[in-house]
Amino acid sequence: MRGYRKTGNDKVRSEKAGRRGGRVGRYLRILRELARLRMQQLMVFRLDFFAPFFVDGSLFAVQLLVFDAIYGNVERIGTWDRGAMLVYIGSFSLLNAVSMSLCFFGVISIPGKIRSGELDLYLTKPVSPLFRLSFEQINPGSLPLVCMSLCIIGYGIRTGGLRPSGRQVAAYLLWMLLMAVLYYDMEVLMRSLSFYVLSTSRMDQLEEASLELCMKLPGTALYGVYKLLFYCLLPYGLMATVPVQSLIGELSWAGGLWAFSIVSGFSLLTAAAWRVGIRRYESASS
Amino acid sequence: MGAMIRKYREVARVHLKSQLAWRADVIFQMFFTIGRILFAYLLWKVIFDGRDEVAGFGFDGMLSYYIFSSFLTQLDLSQGISEEIHNRIRGGTFSKYMVLPVHTEGYFLAMEVGVVLFYLIFDLIAAFVWVLVFGIRLQITEELWVVLCAVLMVALGLLFMVQLTYYLGLLTLKYQGIGTFLMIKNNLVALITGSIVPLVLLPESVVGVMRLLPFYYVTYLPSMLLVGRCREETVAGLAVLAMWCLALQAVICVTWEKYSRRYDGAGI
Repeated sequence: MRGYRKTGNDKVRSEKAGRRGGRVGRYLRILRELARLRMQQLMVFRLDFFAPFFVDGSLFAVQLLVFDAIYGNVERIGTWDRGAMLVYIGSFSLLNAVSMSLCFFGVISIPGKIRSGELDLYLTKPVSPLFRLSFEQINPGSLPLVCMSLCIIGYGIRTGGLRPSGRQVAAYLLWMLLMAVLYYDMEVLMRSLSFYVLSTSRMDQLEEASLELCMKLPGTALYGVYKLLFYCLLPYGLMATVPVQSLIGELSWAGGLWAFSIVSGFSLLTAAAWRVGIRRYESASS
Repeated sequence: MGAMIRKYREVARVHLKSQLAWRADVIFQMFFTIGRILFAYLLWKVIFDGRDEVAGFGFDGMLSYYIFSSFLTQLDLSQGISEEIHNRIRGGTFSKYMVLPVHTEGYFLAMEVGVVLFYLIFDLIAAFVWVLVFGIRLQITEELWVVLCAVLMVALGLLFMVQLTYYLGLLTLKYQGIGTFLMIKNNLVALITGSIVPLVLLPESVVGVMRLLPFYYVTYLPSMLLVGRCREETVAGLAVLAMWCLALQAVICVTWEKYSRRYDGAGI
C-alpha cells in the first residue's frame, strides 16, 4: 500500500517535473524519436538518401551560373552587386534546405492524409497532429544542402567585400529564423486548404511558380502590384530579401516592422486555418 | 507505308482529342507561362534602368527573346515521356506499349505531335496576351527564309527532345531508378537551352562548347533567329542538330536491342 502510494506520488512528481521541464523538452524528445524512426526508413532505400540534395543542389547551382552570366555583363542589379546577390541566393537556398531537412516531406503528405482519412491516426495520439505530421519525415539527406548554402553565403560576403558588424549578423540570423517560420507557414497554409477543397494541385502549382520566381528575383526588383503580390499576398518575395537587406544595412525600420507583421500575420492565419480545418475534418476511413 | 502513317496519325489524333478532357490544365498551362515572362520583365527592367544595351540586346529585344524562348519551352512537353516509361517499366506495365502494332518510339513521337498540335494554338494565344499585357514592342526578323529555318529547327529540336527523353526512359531497363537523374536533367536543360537567360551572356568560350551540343539549337538559336540575330549560324545549326538526331537514334536502337529483353512484364 505504502509502495503503491509512493509510486503514485512519484508519478505525480514526475508529471509536475515534466510540466516544469516543459512542453518543449517533451516535444524535443518526440522529435528525436521521429528522426530515429525516419533514419531507419531511409536506410532501406539508400540510393534515394541524397536525392533531394542533388536535385535542389543542381537547381541552385544553375541559379549561381545564371547570375554569374548576368553579372559578367552588368555591375549591379538595382542597388545589389554580385556579392549581395550571392548572399541572396545562398539565403534562399538555406531556407529551402532547412525546410527540406526538417518538414517539407512531412508537410506535403498532409493533403493525401486528409483525403484518405489517415489523419485519424494522428488525431488520436497524445501529441500535436501538425507537429507529428510536419516532423515525421525528416530528411537528413538534405543536410549537405545546408552546408552548400552556408558556403554560398560566405562566398557572397567575401566577393562583395562585406564587413557586417556583430549587430548586423545577429539581425541577419534573427530574420532568417523568422523567414524560416514564414516559409513553414506558407507550406502548411497551402496544404491546409485540403480541409476545404477536394484538390489543391493548382495551389501547389501556384506555390511552385511563386517560389521559382522569387528564388531567382530579389524583392528589391519588385514594384507596384508585383510588390503587393509578393510582399503581402504570397510573401515569398520577402523571404530572403529582408535578411540580406539587414546584413548589408539596407533594411529600414519601416521595412523591418512590415516584414515582422507579415510573419506574425501569416503565423496566426496558418494556425487559424489549421484549427478550423481540424474542426471541419470528417474522417474518411473505416 | 500508307497504312503505317495512318496508324501514327490515329495515335496523334487520339492524344490531341484526349487533351480536351483536361480543360483546366490547358488554362493553367497558359496562365503559368507568365512566370518566365514576369521574371524577365522585372529583372531586365531593373537592369536596363540607366542603360540601353546588354550583350547587344535592347530592352524590347531582350523581352522579345523571352517571349519566343518561353513559347518554345512550353511547346516541349516531352519530359512526361521518360517519366511514363520509367513508371511503367518499374511497375511492370510497359507491356501496354510493347503489344501495340506500332513501334514504341514512333508511338511516343506521334503522341507528342498530337499534344504539341493541341497546345500550339493556346501557347500562341498566351504569348500574344503577354505581349499586350507587358506592352512589349515585339522584335521579329523580316526575312522569310530565316523564319522557315527557325521553324524547321524547332521541329528538329522537338524531335531531339522526344528522342532524348525516350532514351532516358529506356535506361530504366538497366538502372531501375532514374527519377532523381530526370529531375537534375530538367534543371540543367533549362540553363543550357537558354530558357532562363540568353546564352550570349555566357563567356564566348562556353558558348563555343555549347554550339557543339544539340541543346543550343532547341530553344536558344531559333529564338535568336526569330528576333533577327545569329542568322549566320542557321545552316550550320540545322546540320549539327540533324546529326545529333541521327546519332541519338542509333544509340536508341542499340539500347533497345540490348536491354528490352531484360523487361519483366506484370500485365498492361
